[in-house]
Amino acid sequence: MRRRPWGWNPEGRRRWAMLTLWMGHLLWILLTRSPSMHWQQVMGMLSRPSQVMASSWSHWRQSRAENARNLAEARAELQTLHWQVEGLRTAMVQDASRNAEADEAIRLLGLKKQLPLELKAARVIVNVRKAPFGGMVLDQGRDAGLVPEQGVICPEGVVGRIWSVADHQASVLPLDAYNASTAVMLGRSRATGVLQGVGPNRAEIRYVGAQEIVQPGEPVYTSGLDSVFPRGLLVGTVSAVHPRDTELRIQVALAAPLEKADLVLILPSRPLIELQPPAAPPVVVPKSKRVPK
Amino acid sequence: MNRSTSAPAVRHALLATLSLALVQVAAPWPGLQAVAHVLLVLGLAPEFRSPLMAMLWAAAAGWVLEGSLRVYPHLGGTALANMTLVLIIRWTLAQWPPRDRNPFWGRMAVFTLVHALLVHGLVRLAAGPHAWGSGALWALLCVPIWSTLVFRIHRPFRS
Repeated sequence: MRRRPWGWNPEGRRRWAMLTLWMGHLLWILLTRSPSMHWQQVMGMLSRPSQVMASSWSHWRQSRAENARNLAEARAELQTLHWQVEGLRTAMVQDASRNAEADEAIRLLGLKKQLPLELKAARVIVNVRKAPFGGMVLDQGRDAGLVPEQGVICPEGVVGRIWSVADHQASVLPLDAYNASTAVMLGRSRATGVLQGVGPNRAEIRYVGAQEIVQPGEPVYTSGLDSVFPRGLLVGTVSAVHPRDTELRIQVALAAPLEKADLVLILPSRPLIELQPPAAPPVVVPKSKRVPK
Repeated sequence: MNRSTSAPAVRHALLATLSLALVQVAAPWPGLQAVAHVLLVLGLAPEFRSPLMAMLWAAAAGWVLEGSLRVYPHLGGTALANMTLVLIIRWTLAQWPPRDRNPFWGRMAVFTLVHALLVHGLVRLAAGPHAWGSGALWALLCVPIWSTLVFRIHRPFRS
């Protein structure tokens, strides 16, 4: 007997179940409009752990991306700062010589205001002081009115005197030259003598009697007797005193940095021995305090 | 072709269960969820001996997918599409049993496209316009992986 495919037998019941299942779904989606909220809530609750895990994963990725972005920004900013620092260093190196010259000029200007003399500024263009019979060459010469035997000073003290003058340049005989002689006096004992160069940055005072009391550290000033420098310009300090026959051998450490002098002031020729103090500023009387006639 | 005529049904049911669970828990990752869904519907469900069982697994996959997505106002479209396609695949497997792996990949790729179109059509019919997403693309890209798995567990059967 042939079994009917849609009859009431296992095969038929299975076919009917499949048909019912498929048609039930079709009618469900066509005829009903239930939002299926309960089913979605159940499914959402079941997927909660994976959602939490996904949220953590997403937060971790966002945090990592933000950290990477911050790191990139920090690196870029650091690079920018590095470039700025390099630029500032370069500018500082470029401006160093100019700043040093400006400082030197300021100090020279201050010295010029303190001395009531007609001073001229000059730049040292050559400094071969340590060479045999070497000296210093200035960028001013006969065209600037310079003549030999004019004193040369810097803010720290006396540098030397002009030895020879050319049209546009002049050579300076520094204090530590072997053939340099300068009339000086000691600061405390007021004893006078002649300063003679004995080597780089060293000089000795001659013709000071053995009866004089001289102590190391005593300042040495120009005495003004040589008509090159006025009295009272600082020359240096006494570094050592040695008695020798009838006179003292006084070693002097020069105050002026001869090897570093760049800008100097030139004293006028044959200045007065005693410097006159600058005149006091005029007193301004307020108009309201004038006595009416 | 190496057909395992004594493949345990337990292993088959276990794979289907794992796939259904993966569809549920992979909701935050649409790509992985789409691959698991296609594996269950196009690969594992048609392999059950009973067509009714195959339809039930396909319907379960559709309901779990839509329920976990929580974006459709009215459910059921995916389940109906799944059941329809499972019946079609079973019929093709009975008519043209797979003999080589590469043609089977092509067949599964075609069914993946058809499945995507059918699902979106019926979901639109049930729930209205909706976003397509990139799940079908991920399923298509992973055809060599899940199709190979399905090909290895396939057993000949009569519809």
